Amino acid sequence: MALDGGKFLGAYRASLGISDAVVLCHVPIGCHWGGGILAGISRQQDINHVCTALHEREIVFGGESSLERSLLNVASLHPGPAIIVVSGDVPSIIGDDCEAVIRSLDLDKKIALINAPGFMGSMRDGYEDALLCLAVFMMEHDTIEKSVNLIGFCRDDFKVDADIREIKRLLSYAGIKVNCIISNCSFEEFRGAPAAELNVVVGQGKLLAEFMKKEFAIPYIEAAYPYGLEKSLTFVEKIGAALDLSGIAQNELDLESYKKIYVYLQKLNGMPVSIIGDYHSSPMAQFLEDELGFDVNVNSNFEDSSFEDHVASSNSIMIFGSSFELKIAKVLGIPLVRYVYPVFDRVSFCDAPFAGIRGAQFLTEDIVNAALMFRDDYITRA
Amino acid sequence: MKKFCVYGKGGIGKSTIVSNIAASLAGDDCIVMVMGCDPKADTTRNLIGHRIPTILDSFRNERADLINLNDVVFRGFRGIYCAEAGGPEPGVGCAGRGVMTAADVLKRLNAFEEIKPDVLIYDVLGDVVCGGFAMPLKNNLADDVYIVTTCDPMSIYAANNISKGIKRFAERGHVRLGGLIYNGRSAVNEPSIVEMFAEKLGTRVVGKVPMSNLISRAEIHHKTVIEYAANSTIAQDFKNLANEVYANSYKVVPQPLSDHDLDGITSEIDLFLREQDM
Repeated sequence: MALDGGKFLGAYRASLGISDAVVLCHVPIGCHWGGGILAGISRQQDINHVCTALHEREIVFGGESSLERSLLNVASLHPGPAIIVVSGDVPSIIGDDCEAVIRSLDLDKKIALINAPGFMGSMRDGYEDALLCLAVFMMEHDTIEKSVNLIGFCRDDFKVDADIREIKRLLSYAGIKVNCIISNCSFEEFRGAPAAELNVVVGQGKLLAEFMKKEFAIPYIEAAYPYGLEKSLTFVEKIGAALDLSGIAQNELDLESYKKIYVYLQKLNGMPVSIIGDYHSSPMAQFLEDELGFDVNVNSNFEDSSFEDHVASSNSIMIFGSSFELKIAKVLGIPLVRYVYPVFDRVSFCDAPFAGIRGAQFLTEDIVNAALMFRDDYITRA
Repeated sequence: MKKFCVYGKGGIGKSTIVSNIAASLAGDDCIVMVMGCDPKADTTRNLIGHRIPTILDSFRNERADLINLNDVVFRGFRGIYCAEAGGPEPGVGCAGRGVMTAADVLKRLNAFEEIKPDVLIYDVLGDVVCGGFAMPLKNNLADDVYIVTTCDPMSIYAANNISKGIKRFAERGHVRLGGLIYNGRSAVNEPSIVEMFAEKLGTRVVGKVPMSNLISRAEIHHKTVIEYAANSTIAQDFKNLANEVYANSYKVVPQPLSDHDLDGITSEIDLFLREQDM
């Protein structure tokens, strides 16, 4: 079965990206629980997502009263500047007029409505469409020179905080300021996103970038997620080139540390591995092949429902994926390196990124340790 | 227990026929229950004399586990047990889900075990528009289905569409088409056309209800013809129909017509109208 959360989950994740807004999910409690539990595990202090809790009564008689009541409650209880209503499957099927409900209320908050029934598209569709809906919050700003918005990051991505910190560090060496991280910012930062000189689409969010190009004349480039030394440099250089800046200095690279684990790296060289993920998977696979020397013999995405079959019939000695791949990893008795959403059986709150130059070190360390935790015969499975 | 449901195009006379069948069968130790499955909730009005609170009215105002049988089932003419599913306001919510919820409430209340009806009749909204309105066809709620139709092309088209729904559920379970009920209240009154349609479906016309002013007059007084004009010819027609349905054992999996075959029926109607004009 393909591992795609559907349009609702994508929209929900995009909405959670405005950290001080309240995300009001207009759905039955189960729909909210699904996305909420994945978000809540990785960021347990966040309580800015609530639910209209549609029950059978609302399904029969309509959920508009419930939405109205919830909006009034949220407006009175939460000090945040904005409410984002994400309307899911049930309101879409029964035809709730959410827009009319919102229009009828005179609330002292900005409100955005995202219609995102799960059956109407993929998680990626939901993310893209949601950002377009949220763009109503944006305001024209004076341009901040040599600044960029990074689009595509989600607050519940594994390692996202550490990754952003590392990416910001690398960009700052090249004289590039990060204006706004979408979707991991405050409401004011999101409103001020049009101040950036350039938008950088990292995997997803291209529709928003196109919208901002048309609406605010901000150009955009697309860049792969910066896994590994080579791609991290390329990432910074590509952005720098678009801003007429020179790239990061090569002396930023510290290869000395890798020499300490030379024997292990040599042992892993040429070993077959499998990888699955979203837009993170392709740059991760390149890092594994180009820099660590793995042979990626199954490279798949979450839309591929036959990943497990492919892995089982391969001679992979390691899987790179999400927590959902633990089952197949256990069945095959091979290690799993979690790197992509959703990761719900590992925490990542320390400054130990996977992205960037420091990230390449942490990744390599995790991979070698994952291999060492298994017996030799797993390594020699190939 | 004889359990059947009555379908047909909106405004075709289902509620009139259901209430008169119920009134005909009730009494003489025969316990009859009628459940209206139309959000308009007017099936049982002529059995009770006024509209009754619906199951979904109670559900809207009360927790499901606090609803009592007496809140949703009422006694009417000849002690007939009457319940109305009800529904949301027009244009909001999901009426189909409402029918399912109402059926669920009755189940939770053990309504059928408590009442022990000999005859249970469901009167269902115009067409099988969604899974909710197909509810009586599922879960053994009804054994057979009767479709009310006139000679009008759109009525026959609707009846054919309903047959598609019946066929689907017949192939999965035990529900069957018991037959067509011909209502003569139409600009085109030619029973042979409906008989031909029934034959093509693989069923038969179980009864005919001729046009009669008495039906309208009875309904103005919120009564069935059986109560209002018990000795009239039309009352006897309803009694005959009720007896036929009650005793009917000829039930089929219908074979719905193709568009081409339906065109053949409408051509017959056209021919009949031309002959009338001449």
